[in-house]
Amino acid sequence: MKRVPLPLAPEDPNAKRWWRSLGEHAGSPEFKESLPAEFPPGAALPPEGEGRRQFLTVMGASAAIATLAGCRRPEEHIMPYTRRPEEVVEGNPLYFATTFPFQGTAYGLLVESHEGRPTKVEGNPQHPESLGTTTLWSQAFILDLYDPDRTNSPRNKGQTKTWAEASDFLRAEGERLKAQQGKGLVVLTESHRSPSLAAQLRALREALPQAKVVRYEPFSSDNAHEGERLAFGRPLSMSLDLAKAKTIVTLDADVLSSDGSTVRQARGFVAGRDVDKGVEPNRLYVIESHLSTTGGSADHRLRIQSRQVPAFAFALAAELGKLGVDLGAGVAAAAEPKGQGLSEKAKRFVVAIAKELAGNRGRGVVVAGRKQPAEVHAVAHLINQALDAIGEGKPVRFHAAFDEDRDGPTVLTDLAASIGKNEVETLLILGGNPVFNAPADARFAEAIGKVRTSIHLSTVIDETSEKTTWHLNRTHLLEAWGDARSVDGTQSIVQPLIAPLFDGKSELEVLEMLLGGNRSGYDMVRATALGKAADAEKGWRKALHDGVWAGSASPVEAVTPAPDAVVKALGAFKGVSMDGLEVTFRPDDHAYDGRFANNAWLQELPDPSVKQTWGNAAGLSFSTANKLGVKDGDVITVSGAGGSITIPVAIMPGQADDSISLTFGQGRRAALRVAHKVGVDTGPIRQSAGFDVASGFSAQRTGGFVQAARTQEHFSMEGRPVAREGSYEEFKKDPTFAKKEAPRPELFNLWTSPVVDQGHAWGMAIDLNACLGCSACVTACQAENNTPVVGPDGVTRSREMHWLRIDRYYDGSPDEPETISQPMLCQHCESAPCEQVCPVAATTHSPEGLNDMAYNRCIGTRYCANNCPFKVRRFNYFHYNKDHDEFRKLQFNPEVTVRSRGVMEKCTFCVQRINRAKIEAKRDGKTRVEDGKIATACQAACPTQAITFGDLNDPKSAVSERAASARGYKLLEDINVKPRITYLARIRNRNPELEGA
Amino acid sequence: MSTSVPISNEKPVAAVNTDDPVGRHPLVLGGLGFKSITDRVAGISLGKTPKTWPFALALAVSLLMVLGGSLGWLVSQGVGVWGMNSTIGWAWDITGFVFWIGIGHAGTLISAILYLFRQKWRTSINRAAEAMTIFAVLAALIYPAFHVGRVWFAYWMLPIPNQMGMWPQMKSPLLWDVFAVSTYATVSALFWFVGLVPDFATLRDRADTKTKQIVYGILSLGWRGSHRAWLHYERAYQIFAGLSTPLVLSVHTIVSFDFAVSILPGWHTTIFPPYFVAGAIFSGFAMVVTLMVVARTALGLKHLITMRHLENMNKIILATGTMVGYAYGIEFFMAWYSGNPYESFALMNRVFGPYAWAYWTMVSCNVLFPQLFWFKKIRTSIPAMFAISIVVNVGMWFERFVIIVTSLHRDYIPSSWSYYRPSLVDMSTFVGTFGLFLTLFLLFCRFVPVIAIGEVKGVLPAADPHNPHDAHDAHGEKAGVEHHG
Repeated sequence: MKRVPLPLAPEDPNAKRWWRSLGEHAGSPEFKESLPAEFPPGAALPPEGEGRRQFLTVMGASAAIATLAGCRRPEEHIMPYTRRPEEVVEGNPLYFATTFPFQGTAYGLLVESHEGRPTKVEGNPQHPESLGTTTLWSQAFILDLYDPDRTNSPRNKGQTKTWAEASDFLRAEGERLKAQQGKGLVVLTESHRSPSLAAQLRALREALPQAKVVRYEPFSSDNAHEGERLAFGRPLSMSLDLAKAKTIVTLDADVLSSDGSTVRQARGFVAGRDVDKGVEPNRLYVIESHLSTTGGSADHRLRIQSRQVPAFAFALAAELGKLGVDLGAGVAAAAEPKGQGLSEKAKRFVVAIAKELAGNRGRGVVVAGRKQPAEVHAVAHLINQALDAIGEGKPVRFHAAFDEDRDGPTVLTDLAASIGKNEVETLLILGGNPVFNAPADARFAEAIGKVRTSIHLSTVIDETSEKTTWHLNRTHLLEAWGDARSVDGTQSIVQPLIAPLFDGKSELEVLEMLLGGNRSGYDMVRATALGKAADAEKGWRKALHDGVWAGSASPVEAVTPAPDAVVKALGAFKGVSMDGLEVTFRPDDHAYDGRFANNAWLQELPDPSVKQTWGNAAGLSFSTANKLGVKDGDVITVSGAGGSITIPVAIMPGQADDSISLTFGQGRRAALRVAHKVGVDTGPIRQSAGFDVASGFSAQRTGGFVQAARTQEHFSMEGRPVAREGSYEEFKKDPTFAKKEAPRPELFNLWTSPVVDQGHAWGMAIDLNACLGCSACVTACQAENNTPVVGPDGVTRSREMHWLRIDRYYDGSPDEPETISQPMLCQHCESAPCEQVCPVAATTHSPEGLNDMAYNRCIGTRYCANNCPFKVRRFNYFHYNKDHDEFRKLQFNPEVTVRSRGVMEKCTFCVQRINRAKIEAKRDGKTRVEDGKIATACQAACPTQAITFGDLNDPKSAVSERAASARGYKLLEDINVKPRITYLARIRNRNPELEGA
Repeated sequence: MSTSVPISNEKPVAAVNTDDPVGRHPLVLGGLGFKSITDRVAGISLGKTPKTWPFALALAVSLLMVLGGSLGWLVSQGVGVWGMNSTIGWAWDITGFVFWIGIGHAGTLISAILYLFRQKWRTSINRAAEAMTIFAVLAALIYPAFHVGRVWFAYWMLPIPNQMGMWPQMKSPLLWDVFAVSTYATVSALFWFVGLVPDFATLRDRADTKTKQIVYGILSLGWRGSHRAWLHYERAYQIFAGLSTPLVLSVHTIVSFDFAVSILPGWHTTIFPPYFVAGAIFSGFAMVVTLMVVARTALGLKHLITMRHLENMNKIILATGTMVGYAYGIEFFMAWYSGNPYESFALMNRVFGPYAWAYWTMVSCNVLFPQLFWFKKIRTSIPAMFAISIVVNVGMWFERFVIIVTSLHRDYIPSSWSYYRPSLVDMSTFVGTFGLFLTLFLLFCRFVPVIAIGEVKGVLPAADPHNPHDAHDAHGEKAGVEHHG
């Protein structure tokens, strides 16, 4: 870190003047000139933004926060470690519970903090939405805290302002608006489930009754809520317990990765197919247009255009009706005419699924996706109701909705319209980036220019902040107080881990200023929360410590279906036209809706299907691409909906024909150093009508070509037994089928093997039946192990540094392939080929079976990587860690070396975690580390607990048990490398009735 | 009058001084005798600079500067300026290394093995070939030194006692390489220098400037051309020949271990040692032919480096080229016979995969074109042999590229399969190594006797006391005699 000299006290003219040299004594101009040479330019000034002192302040403040479980000290105090804050031991990380509200729910987290620096996110085991694990988004959002593009002050028309000025302005504006009852004020928030924000907005509505409060989310759940309104008369919150379902049908719903409470759903799904525990596996039918993570895990997948999914849903309802399932008066009959036009294959699916659902009442569930219209949701609800799948202890449960506000695209078109009518004087935008992500027909960028006073609270100067009159710098989630309720109503606190690094304010605090109050975010959150607890202070402390308010989940609501409304809606249902090509929009695999576009980890995280990084593409099926005469990488123009975009093509396995799958969130125009010009903005063809699924598009080749940055180029296993799988039938016949797929000859060692039956023998088991390919582990590994990012150019040259990668293989035709994902990392071979070829012994075997890397010893011959049959070794071709600013460095895990240029690196089995556990065991007088004390970063992050790590010498350890599974196999046993990782073969539960479909 | 040729009226110990006179072309043409040979060869080093030489040197030095620039860029930025990736950790670097080491084979083979086999025709080419060897090894060493990620720690591969108590890892073939190549370089250089001592003395005695006298004087180590000195010299030369002979075989054998000892399909092959040695001799002789065809014209040595020399080398190229072709075939047989699916995939991938173009370039250059040497007309045609020798070297470069890159780019786990494209710096580095090689070679041609004066005189008919054409006067002197042990 750059050293900043202490600022000198102002000179006292009467004081004695000590001099350091004759030159100084003489005060000659030459001497003064020579000073900067000794202290280089800038050395006398604090560095831009925050420097060491600020950092120390922050650290001290965070140390104060560290004691929060007990009490919260004023943030202003710096705690000198001469009087050490309670709990803080330098070098020992502390964990604080906080919450990450995302995708319409909230994930409870435990954030690791090293001397006040949040470095790593883990899941909160007590939180029902996290269950101790995370999604890839929760893993990656911590990097945004240290985003160097974050602004450090408010700005008014491009001029830097202080918060005092901004606060004065907000208060004056509030006073002015109060005088007119809030007329002309619109507050636009992101979708949220924060009771405190809701309370604050309620207060605003009271104080300024004529103000409008609206909410917008580029990927909203309006369709789902409308569906609930249709089926049950009111919007609700749905939570799924897929463990209770034996037949799961998803209608364009990516339930395992982006629709709903993904961790809980994925966990339930996997629990329902744990064949090693004797569970009869569930069967997942996925009906979708784009191969999603859920589709990749399907037992049967039907690729069908998203606009045809409603017909499929209705046909399914009709078929169920025929089988005697009572969906409610007239529903099946009303659905039947709307369920026409399906392909033969789709019809086979309808018949087979209906038969299975009807025969498994109470154990089947149909889930409609966010993209699908309300009618599909409603029909799915009615089916679930008729199948007795709704209620306490059933696969589907409904809780009270957080509120009834809509947050879909019409919110912004309406807002733009009222701006056009000069009804908006002041527009306060709390977060979000509507100028970028509004529907194209809202013309929001133009509209916002007409508002006299527009205020945008944002962490960076994004497209919206560029247009508004005021930009207010926002806190990161880890810097401010807040709260959130998850889908089932569980309330948890967003607890800051660090004082605002860039002096930002949260939306609660900004509203407070507008309302003329003086409460801090902490006061507000506490006030909201304390209303509910009997023993207030104790409950608050416990909630802070645990991360959740115990028992705050809403009760399960009883629902009564309203078939009449559904019948009526079905009668009027039109759906999307079948003209031209279909276009579907989904959140970008890297940037989500654009909010993570500046996050280098996510940009470099390969998407699950074609492993693209740094950008997006138009997904076309192999057949459609042939029809259009385009190849992978060709640039096409997609026109329709009054606009057009040019975007490179990616041939997506399993994509529906005549359907273009687009992601929204890339192609940011704002001057952000990571996001700028990465990918293509698909916003110009995203209209409020057809916001998710649209029709009538055409595509033409432009003649251009873009080489996509992909981490995998070959998706066929070439018939090799790499990622092994079998049907449930095969498994029942011979559970050890996977072991027999490769020869296991008796082999001999050239030299004596090390003794491995004493002490610990670290090993891992990875269950391919549980792995969804979601990539949360990849991000977790990157965060834990300070893995560098190499950029699009580096990825194009196949130099990505991920220690853990998810290999994706396709089998069958490029149009309708079967899919399997396999996490691939250092196998810690007992007879490691890499070790024997290193000329300087930089990679050696530990007595506990780890394949260690001594970075300091490595000279970088790369021979080890050449000789690694798994190709998991990663070489620092450049000094990827050279140009980090001071903020980025704060994220680094101090327990892991930040590698320099020219050295090899690879998975260490999180050796730092192993050693910490060993130290603790030794301290506690134990001879061995107990099972379960160590979780590698990938294991801890995995939502489905596909990864188990531990001591193979302990026969009772979880890893020994998993590795002993009949499905277990090791890779490349025939070349005698003896991997320490056991893979458990995937089981596909095929429906015999869909044989050959 | 040369002091380097001992004059004796005694009967020679071994009287086989001349090549078999029956049916073979003499090794020295143009009526050259002892004096004229000395004049001719020493004249190159001591005479006026030929007009073309500065231009050639300027070209070579500019290429050398390309090397300097490329390596400077490499060291300042990282190995990433080359085109390798996570899957393909070695590409042009080790290709270049093996290529140059291979070229470095012919010199020692000519000077040591052919010496032991009493191949008289070696005398007029061995000096240049040995020089070529040393320069090629130097060019080769650029790669292992600079291809590592941290150049400044490359010396850790040497067994130097250090405060870390760390010793190199003896199981690694790379370490064996370090020993094999350094031994080879040392012995080759000493062998070369020993052979040069009498000739340096000739230059010293004929030098017309003080500087040259001092420099050549130092280099000639006080050589006086005494009988005793010649005796020791011959003995030493023979010992070196004996020492070098196994090295010729060992160095490329060990270089091949880099691949053969690994577990990579396409590398893990027991035929590699003989295959690599044959390939090395093949490429080495091709390089000698390339250089000699130019040098004999440029330096006016057509009478000393005769068509017979060139033809002999072409025959060796034909023989080793055929061996290499046999090895290619055997690889297929083994892939099929072993029944190892990875092995057979690696081979099929070479032949039909994304790098098939490189494979077929290799096969046509190395197996097909040398077969033209069956025809005497082609074997003795200067343009044809020049072209084929270049084709062979292109082919041998491709052989190493094919072995290294095609095996790496698709190995066991298909998800990591990749494709390698060289960067500009890859190319400039390789071109630059030619700059180093040519610069040294041009300096050698100008300042060092390019032909072993003492030795070549030994194959003159006049040097044979039994020569029936003894009357054919060698500048009025009695025939000089070589003292073979």
